[in-house]
Amino acid sequence: MIDTTKYKSWFRLDNSAKIFPEVSTERDTNTFRVQIALTEVVEPEILQLAAIGILERYPMFRVRLKHGVFWNFLDRNTKDFKIQEMGHEVNARMDTKDNNNFLFRILYRNNLIAIEMFHSLGDGGGVIMFLQSLIYEYLKLKGYPVTPDNIIKTKEGRPLEEEYEDANEKYYNKKNRKHVPEKKAYRIKGTMIPNNNTGMVSGILSTKAVLELSRSVGLTMTQYFSALMMYVIYNTQIRYRGHLKTNQAPVKIFVPVNLRKHFPSETLRNFSNFVKTELVMTDDDITLEELFVLVKEQFEKGMTKEELIRKMSENVAFEKNFFLKFMPYYIKKVALKIGYNMLGMKLNTMSLTNIGKIVFPESMEPYIKDVSAVVCAGSYNTVNCAILSYKDQLKITISRSILETNIEKEFFRHFTDLGLSVTIESNYVEEFV
Amino acid sequence: MKKCDKCNIEIETKQLYCPLCHQVLTGETDPSFIEVYPEYVSLTRKILPTVKKTLLLLSILAIVIVALINTLAFNGVYWSLIPIGSTLYFWLLLRVGVLSRRNMAFRIAFLTVLLIALLVLIDYRTVPENNGWSFDYLMPLLLFSCNLAIFFIILVRRLNYRDYFFYLLIVIVFSLIPLILVAFDVLTILWPSLVAFGLALFILLFLIVFFPKTIKEELQKRFHA
Repeated sequence: MIDTTKYKSWFRLDNSAKIFPEVSTERDTNTFRVQIALTEVVEPEILQLAAIGILERYPMFRVRLKHGVFWNFLDRNTKDFKIQEMGHEVNARMDTKDNNNFLFRILYRNNLIAIEMFHSLGDGGGVIMFLQSLIYEYLKLKGYPVTPDNIIKTKEGRPLEEEYEDANEKYYNKKNRKHVPEKKAYRIKGTMIPNNNTGMVSGILSTKAVLELSRSVGLTMTQYFSALMMYVIYNTQIRYRGHLKTNQAPVKIFVPVNLRKHFPSETLRNFSNFVKTELVMTDDDITLEELFVLVKEQFEKGMTKEELIRKMSENVAFEKNFFLKFMPYYIKKVALKIGYNMLGMKLNTMSLTNIGKIVFPESMEPYIKDVSAVVCAGSYNTVNCAILSYKDQLKITISRSILETNIEKEFFRHFTDLGLSVTIESNYVEEFV
Repeated sequence: MKKCDKCNIEIETKQLYCPLCHQVLTGETDPSFIEVYPEYVSLTRKILPTVKKTLLLLSILAIVIVALINTLAFNGVYWSLIPIGSTLYFWLLLRVGVLSRRNMAFRIAFLTVLLIALLVLIDYRTVPENNGWSFDYLMPLLLFSCNLAIFFIILVRRLNYRDYFFYLLIVIVFSLIPLILVAFDVLTILWPSLVAFGLALFILLFLIVFFPKTIKEELQKRFHA
C-alpha cells in the first residue's frame, strides 16, 4: 500500500498531454506499446508483484484522469492495479472499467511483457524507463542475480520532483513562438480493418548492417528510414498518379524528437517535439538519392535549438492563451475536438518514431531476447512506424489500420534486395476479419 | 523457420502465408512454437437477454399508448407525464444507478437532481390546482437525503473518500436553492428547506473542521487554470 502522504496527490497535465483526452476515439486511441520478449515464459503472479512494487517508485503513473472546471488533471488512483493477459487488440483504448481507471496497462503472454500507455501520461522516453524498472523488479523477484548499475530506477529509490515537471514550460520562450501555418498532408489510403483492430508487422534487422548502410550515404539511421519511407509511399501510392488531386498534397513524415537529449531534463512526462520531412511528390522520376539530400537538409533545419524551442513555445503559447485557459472545460473540449479533426490530425502522413538504443545492465541481458515498440495507427495516419534497437537487433514495427501491406512489403524488400537478412513477425490481422 | 521466396524474408509462424505478400511460405516451423501474438477473439457483446428486450418493448409500447390516449382525449391535464416520466426514470435508475460503474456519489447526485426535475414537472403540469408541493417538501427533503447519503459514504469508505468530496460540495451548494426560493416567496412552507439547509451547513462545518486540507486541495484541483 502506497503511503498517501509521501507524494503529491495530483498533477497537472503537461502541455502536450492536454489535447489527447479530448481527441481520442476508439480508432485514434493515442496509446502506444513497448514490449519486451524474455528468454523464458512469464509468470503472471510474479509480474503482478513486480508491478505493484515498482509503482511505488513511479507515483506519477498511479493516477487516473479527472475533469476540472477548466482543465483535466491526473488524480491519485486509490484502486488496485492488475496486470492483464494480452488479447488480440493492439493499443486499444484504455478501458476505464476493466483497468480500474489506470492510464496504462501491463500485459503478458507466453514470454512477452508489454506496457501500453495513454499518451497523456508520458512519452516513449518515460515508458522505456518504467519498462526497464519493471523487468528489473521481475527478474529480481524471480531470484536472478541482476544489478541496477545506475541504469535502472529501482523500487528502493525515491522519485525526484523533476520527474513530474512539465519541461515544455521550463524551456518556453515567449519571444520565439511564431506560428507557421501548415497544409494538410497526404493520407495513405486503404481498406480500413474492421472493429478498430490494428495490424502489426515487425522486421528484425542487424543494427550494425543498417548503420553502415545509412553511414555510406552520409545519413543517420532515422534520416535514412524517413527518406526510404517517403520513397516507398511515393512508389506504392503516388507515382504516375500525380495528376489526381488527393495525390498533390505533400507527403509528410513526422519524426518525434526526444528533447531530453537536447535539453537537460529528468521528466517522465511528455517531453518530445518533432521534425518533419515534406515534399509534394507529383513528379514521375523522384529517386531515393534525391530524397536523401532533401531529408538531410530538412532534418538539419528542423533540429536547431532555435527551431525546437519555437515549436515548443508555439504549443505552450496556445495553452497560455487567456480565452482558452479560462474557457469552461466542456466548451473547451468541443473547441479542441473540432480544431483537431479539421486540421490537427491531418498534418502528417505517417509518424516514424526512432526510440533509439535500449541499454540494459549486463546482468540483465541474458534474460532479454528483444525489445519493440508499437505506435497506434489511426484513421488519418493509417500506417505508422516505430524503431528500436537492442544489442545488434534493430526492430522496425509498422502498425497499420488498413489491410493493405504494400508499404511494409516494399520497405522490407528494399533491405532484402541489398542482401540484408530480415526476420518478420506479424499478428496476422488478416485472420481477424 | 519458414521462408517467403518472393519477399526473401524469414518468419517463425504456424500460418501458411507471408504477411507481406500473401504467398505460401516454405519450410517448417517447430510444432511446439507458440505464436508471438494472440489469436482473434470476437469482442462483440452478447445480445441483450430476452427479459431486457421484452421489458424495453413493453416500455416503449406503454409510452406510446399512454401518450396517444392523453392527446386524443385531452382535457387540459398532461396526466401522461406521470407514467411516462416514471418509466423513463426506471430505465435511468437501472442504467445509471445499478449498472453503471461510475462514482457512487455522482450517481446519487445525478439521480436526485433528475428526480427533482421530474417531480417539479409533474407537479406543475398535471394537477391544475394545489401545486407547489414539489418545491415545498420534495426538493429540500430529497436534497437532505442525498447529502446524508454521500456524507455517510465518505465516512464509511475512508480509503478513497477523496473521490466523493467534490460531489458532496456540489450538493451542499444545491441545498441553498430552497432557501433562496423562500427568500423570493416561491415556497410557502419553511421547515423542510430549513432542515435541508441545516444539514448541509452541519456537513460543511464538519468537513471544514476535520478535512480542511482535502477541501483546499479539491478546490485547487478542480479550479486550476
